[in-house]
Amino acid sequence: MTRRVAVTGVGVVAPGGIGATAFWDLLSAGRTATRGITLFDPAGLRSRIAAECDFDPFEHGLDAELCQHADRYIQFAVVAAREAVRDSGIDTAAEDPWRTAVSLGSAVGGTTRLEHDYVLVSEHGRRWDVDHEKADPKLHLAFSPSTLASTVAEQFGAKGPVQTVSTGCTSGLDAVGYAFHTIAEGRADVCIAGASDSPISPITMACFDAIKATSPNNDDPEHASRPFDAHRDGFVMGEGAAVLVLEEYEHARARGAEIYCELSGYATYGNAYHMTGLTSEGLEMARAIDTTLEQAGIDPTRIDYVNAHGSGTRQNDRHETAAVKRSLGAHAYDTPMSSIKSMVGHSLGAIGAIEVVACVLAMKHQVVPPTANYETPDPECDLDYVPRTARPRKLEHVLSVGSGFGGFQSAVLLSGPGGRTP
Amino acid sequence: MSTQRSGRAAITGIGVVAPNGQRTDAYWKSVREGLSVLDRITREGCGHMPLQVAGEVQGFDPSALIEDRFLVQTDRFSHFAMAAAALALDDAGLGGGAPAEPFSVGVVTAAGSGGGEFGQRELQKLWGQGSKFVGPYQSIAWFYAASTGQISIRGGFKGPCGVVASDEAGGLDSLAHAARAVRRGTGTMLAGAAEAPLAPYSMVCQLGYPELSTVAEPDRAYRPFTSSACGFVPAEGGALLVVEDERKAVERGVPVRATLAGHAATFTSAARWADSREGLARAIRGALDEAGCAPEDIDVVFADAMGVPEADRAEAQAIGDALGGHGRRVPVTAPKTGIGRAYCAAPVLDTVAAVLAMEHGQVPPTPNVFDVCHDLDLVTERARPAELRTALVLSRGLMGSNAALVVRRGGESAR
Amino acid sequence: MITTEVTFDELAALMKKAAGITVDPQELRQSAESPFDSFGLDSLGLLGIVGELENRYGRSLPPDSERCKTPQEFLDLVNSTLKAGA
Repeated sequence: MTRRVAVTGVGVVAPGGIGATAFWDLLSAGRTATRGITLFDPAGLRSRIAAECDFDPFEHGLDAELCQHADRYIQFAVVAAREAVRDSGIDTAAEDPWRTAVSLGSAVGGTTRLEHDYVLVSEHGRRWDVDHEKADPKLHLAFSPSTLASTVAEQFGAKGPVQTVSTGCTSGLDAVGYAFHTIAEGRADVCIAGASDSPISPITMACFDAIKATSPNNDDPEHASRPFDAHRDGFVMGEGAAVLVLEEYEHARARGAEIYCELSGYATYGNAYHMTGLTSEGLEMARAIDTTLEQAGIDPTRIDYVNAHGSGTRQNDRHETAAVKRSLGAHAYDTPMSSIKSMVGHSLGAIGAIEVVACVLAMKHQVVPPTANYETPDPECDLDYVPRTARPRKLEHVLSVGSGFGGFQSAVLLSGPGGRTP
Repeated sequence: MSTQRSGRAAITGIGVVAPNGQRTDAYWKSVREGLSVLDRITREGCGHMPLQVAGEVQGFDPSALIEDRFLVQTDRFSHFAMAAAALALDDAGLGGGAPAEPFSVGVVTAAGSGGGEFGQRELQKLWGQGSKFVGPYQSIAWFYAASTGQISIRGGFKGPCGVVASDEAGGLDSLAHAARAVRRGTGTMLAGAAEAPLAPYSMVCQLGYPELSTVAEPDRAYRPFTSSACGFVPAEGGALLVVEDERKAVERGVPVRATLAGHAATFTSAARWADSREGLARAIRGALDEAGCAPEDIDVVFADAMGVPEADRAEAQAIGDALGGHGRRVPVTAPKTGIGRAYCAAPVLDTVAAVLAMEHGQVPPTPNVFDVCHDLDLVTERARPAELRTALVLSRGLMGSNAALVVRRGGESAR
Repeated sequence: MITTEVTFDELAALMKKAAGITVDPQELRQSAESPFDSFGLDSLGLLGIVGELENRYGRSLPPDSERCKTPQEFLDLVNSTLKAGA
C-alpha cells in the first residue's frame, strides 16, 4: 500500500526567534544567530560558540509540570508541536487516536540533564560509585530517550505508533521519513513528526572539541559557521526543534486543510565507511537522493533546490557537493544549494527536521534561503550555494539531505501541490 | 511511488548474548530448563544502591568475536550488539566478509539506555580532570546510534540503517522495521537490540521508575502474574537477527527458521497500566490482521510480564480481549523472569525464544513464578511439549508503548 | 638533563591503548614510513594519541600532528615540539 502524504502544519523553535514566522524572517534575511555560549561557562573549551535559543517555557504556555521537570529539548518539542498542530488546523481531539502517530528524533536526548545530575551524584567527577541519594527522582525521564515522543503523544492524545528515532545527525530527517512510511503504508492517517535536541552542554561541546569537529572561531561567532566557504573550520553547535503535521493526502483534503506540499520521497543508507569520516565520492548520499527521486517518479532535472547538510566541516561540504553532482549531473550546477546551518548552527538530531521545515517555508514563499557567511569559493565545492542573500525562485521539487555520525545518509523530497507525477 | 516488492521477511540467523547464555544453544538450554540467573549485582560501583538484583552477562569477552579497534571505541552495549550481530551472520551463513551487494544489507537496532558506562567514564574525566581529557570516542560511543553504525561499518552494510530509541516495545519495532525494509526491496537486514544499563550512573537513572523491583532476594524479585508481584528486574545483553527476503534465503539454500508475519504498535502513556489493556489488545489484533491469522492460530504467547499487579492484570485481560476464549487456553510463558528485562532487548530475546520453542516443539517455563493469580494458562516449572506453528510476542514499555509481533515457524505458509 | 622523547615502543603502546591496534614496536620502526592506515590507525585513533601525549606532557602539540601520515613523520614532529619546549 502506498498512500500520498501531505504536509499541513509546521512549528519551529530555533535560534534567532521562536515560531515559524521568526524562523523564516531570520532565514530570508540571511541573519545569523550564532554567538558566544551563555547557557554555561565555556571557559577552557576549544569551541565556545553556539546558536542558542532564547526560550522561556512559561512564555510559551507550558504548564508548571513541563516547565519544572521536562528537559529543555522536550519543552522545545512540545512548543513546536503545538504550533504545528495549530497551524494545520487539525482538531486532534476529533481524530481517531489509534490512527494518530508520533515520530520524533533526537541525537543525544536527555544528556544535558543527565550531565547536570551526574555532577551532583559524582561530587564533580570524584566518585565512580555515584551517590543515588543526591539524584533527581525523575531522572529516569532524562535517561529514557522515548520520553520525547511519549510526552508529545500525551499532549495530543495520540495512541497510534509512537516512536523516538535516534540516528545521530540524521535523526530529524529519519523521523520525518519513518512518519512518511507510517502514513504511506497505512499504519496511521496523521503523524506528528519532527525532532528536537538541546546539546549545548559541557560534555557534548567537549566531545566535539576532542575530534576538532566544531569551529574554534571564538572571536567572531556571528561569522563562524561558514558552510562551503574555503575558510570553513568546523560546525557551530546549535539547539532547537521542528515539528510537522503529516497527513494522508485524502484525509487532509477531506477536512479542507491547507496543504503546504507533499512529502514525496524518503531514503536512508549507511556509508559503512567510518563513524565520523566521509569519503570524497558521496556514493551513499547520492544513492539516497536517487531513491527518493525514483519513489516520486521524477527526473533529477526537476529538482529546484537542495537544502544541504552543509555543516561547515572540511570533509562534509566536499562529500555532499560530490553526492549532489553524482545524482543531479549537469543540473547540479543550475540548482541552488544552501545551508541554513550558517544561520542557526547545527542542532545535531533536530536540524534535519528544522531543515525540512525550512524547505516547506521556502516552497510556501517561493524563496531560496541563503548560505550566510559564504565569501570565498573552495575549488572542491563548486556549486551555487546562494551566497548571503535569499533568492526568489519557482520551487516545485525540493530536496533536503543529511549526513551523520555512524555513516547515516538520508534524503527527503518535498513536492509542491500539483507538482508531483501521479 | 515505486512498486513494492512483497518478499516475506524470514529469520535466517540468530545471535544471542544473554545473562543465561552467550550463544543461541546455551540460551535455549537455560530457557528450556527454566533456569534463573537473577542474582545480586556485581558490577563495580553498584553494590550500595537500592536496586540489588539484575540479570548480568557474566564473563563476557567480546574479543573472541570483535577486533580490539572496535572494542576500544565503543560501550558495552555496542559490544553486545556487535557480538550478537557476528553470531547471527555466522548462523545465517553470511559471516564471510563484506557482502557482494553492500546496498542490499541494512541494519536497524533499538536502544533505550545508550552507552552509559562509557559516558560515565568520560563525564568523570571531564568533571574530574578537565575537558582536554575527554577522548575522541565519546562522540561516537555514548549515543543511541552507536551500535547500528558500528555493525554497518564492520560488516560493510550500506543498506537502510536505522535506530529506534524507544522503550521496551521498540525491540519489536526494530524487527518490524526490518521486515518492512525487506518488503520494500532490501534483501537482508540485521535487526534487534542490545542494552547495557548496569553501570553505576545508569542505575541511578533507573531508580525513579516506579515499576522497578528493589527486592533483594533474587528468586523473589521478579514474579509477574502472582500475588507477590513487586516490579521488574533489569538485565543486560541482547540479540540480533538476520531478517531476509524469504526468496533470497531459499535461493541461497539456507533454512528459514521463522517468518515475521505481523506487527502492530500502540501507545497508552507511561505508568497508566490499566489503559495498556486496550492498547495491547489493539496491537495484538493489528498484528494478527497483518499476519492473516485467526486468534485460534496462536499456539503460544510470550508475555510482556511487567511484574506490576495492575500491568499484569491488564496484560491478562488484553490477551483475553484479543484472543477471546482461546486466550484462556493458549499456553502463555515469560522466560524473562529467569534473566530480567533487558529493556529494548527483552522482546527480541523473547522472539528468539519463540523461534527456538517452535523449532523444538516445547513451550519453555516461567522461572520463579508459582501460584498464578490471573486467568491465564501460564507455563511454569518445566517446559511443555507442544506442536507450535505460530507464536505471539508481546511487549510494553515503561514510557507507554505497546507492541505485538506474530512469528511463524519456518516452512509454514501464509493463509 | 631530562630528555622528553617519544619512542617507537611508546607509540606502539599508545596505538594499543588509544586505538586498539596491536603492532610490534620493531615492525613499527622498520615500517616507519608506511602510512598509519596500513597499521589500521584512523584519524580518530591518531587524535586520541595526540590527546594522550598532550595530557601526559601538559602542553599542546601543533595542529599538524593529527594530520601526520606516517609514524616517522609523527614522531619527528612530536619530538621536535617537545624538545623545543623543554
